[in-house]
Order: sequence, then structure tokens, then C-alpha cells
Amino acid sequence: MATRAELPGPERPVPGWQRGRVASWLVTVDHKRIGIMYIATSLVFFLAGGLLALLMRTQLATPNEEFLTRDSYNQVMTIHGTTMIFLVIVPILAGFGNYLLPLMIGARDVAFPRLNALSYWLFLFGGIILMLSFLADGGAAKSGWTSYPPLSVQSPGNGQDLWILSLHILTIASLLGAINFICTIHNMRTAGMSWTRMPLFVWSLEVYAVLLVLVLPTLAAGLTLLLLDRQVGTHFFAPGDGGSPVLYQHVFWFFGHPEVYIMVLPAMGIISEVIPVFSRKPIFGYKAVAFSTAAIAFFSMLVWAHHMFTVGMPVYLDGFFMVTSMVIAIPTGVKIFNWLATLWRGNISFDTPMLFALGFISVFTIGGLSGIFVAAFPIDWQVHDTYYIVAHFHYVLFGGSMLAIFAGLFYWWPKMFGRLLDERLGKLTFWLVFVGFNTTFFPQHLLGLLGMPRRIYTYDQGGLWEAYNLVSTIGSYIMGLGILILVANVIKTTRNGRRAGNDPWLADTLEWYPTSPPPEWNFTSVPYVTSARPLYDLRRRLKEQGDL
Amino acid sequence: MPVSVRSKLLLFACLAGTLALAVSATAFAGNGGFAPVEGASPNSDRIKEAYNLVAIFTGAILVLVEGLLIAFIIRFRRKGRARDAEGARIHGNTRLEIVWTVAPALILVAIGGFVFYKLPGISDVPPATAAGGRLEVQVEGRQFFWQFRYPNGVIAVDRLRAPVGQTVRLEVTSPDHDVIHSWWIPALGGKIDAIPGTVNVTWFRAKRPGTFIGQCAEFCGVQHAVMTAAVEAMPRGEFEAWLAAEKDAQAVGKSKLGADTFAGACASCHGLAGEGLIGPALQGSSLLSDAKGIETLVRAGRGRMPAVGKGWTDTQMKALTSYLKENLGNKG
Repeated sequence: MATRAELPGPERPVPGWQRGRVASWLVTVDHKRIGIMYIATSLVFFLAGGLLALLMRTQLATPNEEFLTRDSYNQVMTIHGTTMIFLVIVPILAGFGNYLLPLMIGARDVAFPRLNALSYWLFLFGGIILMLSFLADGGAAKSGWTSYPPLSVQSPGNGQDLWILSLHILTIASLLGAINFICTIHNMRTAGMSWTRMPLFVWSLEVYAVLLVLVLPTLAAGLTLLLLDRQVGTHFFAPGDGGSPVLYQHVFWFFGHPEVYIMVLPAMGIISEVIPVFSRKPIFGYKAVAFSTAAIAFFSMLVWAHHMFTVGMPVYLDGFFMVTSMVIAIPTGVKIFNWLATLWRGNISFDTPMLFALGFISVFTIGGLSGIFVAAFPIDWQVHDTYYIVAHFHYVLFGGSMLAIFAGLFYWWPKMFGRLLDERLGKLTFWLVFVGFNTTFFPQHLLGLLGMPRRIYTYDQGGLWEAYNLVSTIGSYIMGLGILILVANVIKTTRNGRRAGNDPWLADTLEWYPTSPPPEWNFTSVPYVTSARPLYDLRRRLKEQGDL
Repeated sequence: MPVSVRSKLLLFACLAGTLALAVSATAFAGNGGFAPVEGASPNSDRIKEAYNLVAIFTGAILVLVEGLLIAFIIRFRRKGRARDAEGARIHGNTRLEIVWTVAPALILVAIGGFVFYKLPGISDVPPATAAGGRLEVQVEGRQFFWQFRYPNGVIAVDRLRAPVGQTVRLEVTSPDHDVIHSWWIPALGGKIDAIPGTVNVTWFRAKRPGTFIGQCAEFCGVQHAVMTAAVEAMPRGEFEAWLAAEKDAQAVGKSKLGADTFAGACASCHGLAGEGLIGPALQGSSLLSDAKGIETLVRAGRGRMPAVGKGWTDTQMKALTSYLKENLGNKG
């Protein structure tokens, strides 16, 4: 890799009041600071959402438990789901994207830095509204994160309205962020960074952003109609007045299923960055991995009604959505096999990011395979809306997205803060989370097959129901302990963590070229690249020069 | 691999193994949860066959992927090598990419084909002209009870009595003012949503006498968790005798309909003895002797109370009001 002379670092006059420790963060338009704020805020919401999950698991630990009231259980269940999706996974991926995207493509910032700041502040605002909705008249929303009418239209109090308001704001935040990512990727790649030399994480961000732009307006439309039905007396979803409650489900899932891939594809992008680095190999089948990302996104827009196999659609529609859903398994399988092939004949180190990445492959495979069962619609008629589904999507969204996010956190932390997280504590976190996760969610498959529906605040049955539920609750506490140790790790290493050089993992992509953390303008001279692995080229060239 | 990681892996393997053994031992003892529950109707049996086929294919893929993962982790770990020693310089292999694209596609074609092959036996209701004939029952999901109506007008709440060996065709819906529920008795087949404004059809044919339980599967509000249903399959002669006797009993107000209606429609919010729960206590309420007042309240709802009795027949309403008067009103 060589460097290309470019403009010197930007020098804009900064008024004195903006230089304070707090004020400088409040007014920042630097993508790295905004990225860190996104990640930090999402992690705080993650702790809140996790706490809600532990409340639910405690309530379900034994039959006829009275730890939570039925009304508060429904609020906790609704806000847990909404938080984890809209305030944790989607925005934390936006945070990684914000921090890494310009660095990875050799740019000085995103295309629209101020718009970027607006995205973040809207996200924070929407999140605060959702959390504070617990204090609303009648408590928070209690119709589940899907909020199907007529239940959500009939739901008393203002919690549901605040839920709609919060989601509207978050939708705007995500849309602005997505447009920003797309413009940045298309326009600001450094010289030599062709589409087939972009890091795979950037590929996944491009697809993530395009999907958001395509489907978020649908959600916004559905939410607006829901709000009108609640507050203005329209009848879009009201049967008997010519409306249709099933219409909402179509609108919601037209957004909702691509949303799953919005949460999973960038996570897969993280895995595609981590696995090669810790195997000391290039990714196996770069083009196949990149293309499968786009293929998954395309098919994700054709599968929405597989969430609705029990509403009584004609069988030919059920069949169509079964086939499209199963087609998605093919590009997903392509990714998994390419990651495995990347391990083959590698030199594998088991640092914490790699442990999380390997953990991702092992559990995401289970989540993918249980997806085949639920795609086959007669089987779905049995397991739909049961704990089997709860287990399935937690294997995808926790075992998939969250494990990848932890991998990314441990992997890029030294770049963000200049210090590594503690490896011993990190590995402890991994094992607790990995064991706790499987202990929590594997038995839930079995509960679903035994007949336990989701979203029930209690149950009467003893025997296996009781046993599996108790095991599941114990698993959730183990996970909780792992997360606490992560918090301790962050606190501990802030002061005395091992200092990271520019490239502590000997990685190959451009974000490891500048110092850790990088200067405000990222690159003093913007590099140009000649392959998908610029830092590998650089190391090799330096070695060759040394040999001369 | 460093010793500490290996010992942790070993420890984890032991833990996971013990847990898996303990769970599977208890589970297989009662067929608990590794496949859908033991079916008691042809459609649930066919779903289970589809499940088992998918389980064979996905099980094989699971073993393959996890096996390769573990094998590569062990075989290609760093061991004594330098941290920065490069692995093999392999960028891909087109033939392999084709193999792992086409092979899963073929497996999916097999699974999809089998599902479509089994489908008619699962989703199509056997015709009324088939041997054994057919019983038609209307099912209404309501907050928070199931209401059934037999062809001869007999009403039942939460417990559906049905003949063994005869096809029972269910027309499932929910009243316009209510919310979405989902009818599901695991042993008797898949679920179908009860949606206001829509009539969905499903069926079962009980293979043996017995009581099969299930509960509402679509989140329907504060008492979703207690919205249970039971199907009691009984020999055909016995069923027909019961249905005829029940018709007469309901006509003269001597059936258990009032008690069942109270238990299904009222007790989930007011308590089984009317002691109050989500809704206020009913015991000793002066309203109980006012049949007209109760009827207005139950048919229209009030505040947080849904209109549970909207659309009820006078027979059912009368059964409830007299039950309330006799059992919860001021005694003496």
C-alpha cells in the first residue's frame, strides 16, 4: 500500500464553549464520536432490556408465580422486545457502521456529518420516550412488540400512543442514518477501493442501509394508520367497519421480516471480518459472501407472510411463502460454509473476538435450521406463536446478532479507545454468555413443542413445563452474570488496560492503519488500496524491504 | 490451543453433555418436547411426519456443520506456531461454492416436495360424504373464553365434546368487537387464528377417547394466559346421547351452561368464586339479583370490561343470570 498526498487535516475554528469535556460531545459531528455515542447508548438500553428479560424469566421460573402482575408482565414483554430490536441491535450496528465505515473505506467522515448527529439525537430521544412510557397513564404499551390490532387499538391508556411516537422518531433516525451510509459508501471510497475490495462489513452495511430505506416507510405508514385508528376513529384495521386486522399484519411484516436481516446481515459482516484475521487467512470466497448478502436481502422482502401462516391464507400463498423462506437458507448456508472454509488450514488464535465469532457460527446454525421447520407451514401450524418461535428468533437475534456484536466490541474496542479489553475477563464473559444462552433458549424449543404459547405471564402445568422453564431461568441468570463481568471489564480497562498499537490483531483492513484512537480527521494522507487486504499488503512490503 | 482454553472446552463439553443427557432422559421418558406431542388426529400425525422428515435432514446438516467447526478448531489451532504465521493462501474454490449452493437446494426441494405431498391430508377437511360423516361446530374466540355452537343450537363454553372417529369441522372466528385469538389443541392438529370479521376453517378426527387440552395461541390481552380450551372425545353413541340430552336441558334451563359460562367468561377476571381479581368482587353484589342490569352490562361491557356477552342467545344469558343469582347472590 502506498499513500497519496491529500488535503491536510481540516482546521475549522472551534468556539471555546464547544471544547469542554461534555460540550465537545454534545456538539460533535465527528463520525467516531457519534459512533461511540450510538454504541454506548445502545449498551445502556441493552442492560435495561436485559433486566426486563430477567424479570420475565423470574416470573416464569415456576408455575403460578406471582413475581410480576399480569399487567406489568405484558408491559415488560412488549418493551423488552421493542427495546432489543429498535434500541439495541439496529442502533448498535449503526454505531459500528458510523465508527468504522469512513475508516474502512479511507474517508475522513460520512457524507453528511450534521445529519449523522441528528440521527443519533433522534435515536436517543425516541429511546427515552419508550423507556419513560412506563410512567404513562395505564403504563407502557402492552400489546407485544408486534402490536397487532384490534388489541393494540383497544389498549387503554397512552402507553401504546407513546410506543407509536417512539417508533416514528426511531424510524426517522434510522432512515437518515441509512441514507447517510449509502451516500458515503457510493461516493467516498478512497482511490483503488473498488466494490470487490471493500471490507465485507461495508458490504453488509450497504445492504443494511438499502433495506432500511426500502422497508421503514412501510412501518411508518402502518404505525400512522394504527395511531389514526386509536385516536381519530378511523377504521383501517377495524372489522365490521370495512377494515381488516390482517392488513396490519401484512404491512407490519413487510417491514418486520427484512428487519430481521437488517439486524443479522451486519452481524454476519462482523463475523466475516473477525474470522479471517484470527485464522490468518483471507476470507474464503469473498465474492460468494458479498453476493449472498445481497441475495438474502432480496429474498427477505418476499417472505413476510411466513409470520402469518395461521391467519388462514389460501394454501397457494402459504406455499409461495414457504418456498421463498426456504430459498433464503441457501445463501445463508453459503456464508456458513465459506466461514468454515476460512478456518480450514488457518492458524487459529482464540482471542475473545474469535471465541464470540466461533460461538456465533455454532448457535446461528441452530437458529437457521429451526427456521426450516417453521418455514414448512404445516409444521408452523403446530409451533407458531409458541416458545419454539421464541427460541428460534433468540437463536438468530441473540445467538446470531448479539454474539457477533460482542465479537465486534472486543475486536474494535482497542481501535476506539486505544486500550484492549481484558482477555481473561473477556473469555469468562464469553463462556458464561455462551453456556447461559444455550441453557436459556434450547429448552424453549421443547416447551413450544409441548404446547406452551409465547406471551403468557404464567402457566399451571408442572412436570416438564416446570423443569424446562426453571432451567431456562437459571440460564438467563448465567448470561446476566456474563454481562456484569463485561461491565466490570470495561470499567477496569478504562484506566489500566493494555495499550493497543495501531493494529493489535494484525488485521488487514484500513481502519487499523491510523493510530488507536484515530485522529479527528482519520487519515493525515488518505491511503489508496490495491487489494481487499491493504494492511496485509503493507506488512508484506515492509517485510520485503526489511529483507533487502 | 493454550492449556487453559482446552481445559475450559473440556469442562464445557462435560457440562453440556451432562445437561443434554439429563434433559433428554426425562424428555424421552414422556416424549417431552423433541417432537410435537403425540397426535390423536390424522392431521396432527401428518404434521408430525413432516416434522420428523425435516428433523432428519436438518439433524444431518447440524452434525456436519458443528462437526466441521469443532474439527477445524482443533486441527488448525495455533499450537506452537507464531501468532503472525500466515495460514494457507486460499481465496476460494468455485467448485466448492457450487456444491454447497446446489446440495442444500436439493435438500430443500425434497423437504418442500414432502410437505406438499402431505398437505392435502393436513389442510383439506375430509368431505361430509366420507365414512363416519361430519360434525360442524362454530367456534368463537372471545376475551377470554372459547364458545362453541353445535348444529342443533347447543352452546358450550371452553369444553368441546366431540365424537371419536367422526370428522369435526370447525368454523373459527371472533366477534367484530373482540380481538384476534388462535385455536390450538396440539394433539388434534395445528392452530388457526380466530380473527374478527373472518371465518377460518380447520378440522380434527379424534382417534381415541380422552381429554385433549390446549390454549389460545395469539396474544389477546391481560388474561391470554388463562384462555384454555379442552376437547373431550367420547364414543359416538355417548356423544350423540349427550348432545340430545343437553339440548333439552338448555331449553328448560337445567343444564350446566350457566356454570360453564361463568367459569369461562366471568371467572378469569372476577375469580372462580366471584371473589374479584382484575375486575371487582361479585359476591354479594346487589346487581346479582337484577337480571336485566346484568344482561345490559354483560352485553355492552363497561370501562375495562369487554362486552363478553354481546351476541349471546337468550338461553345462555338466562343460564348465566340464574347461575349468578343462585350461587353468588345474597343467600337468604
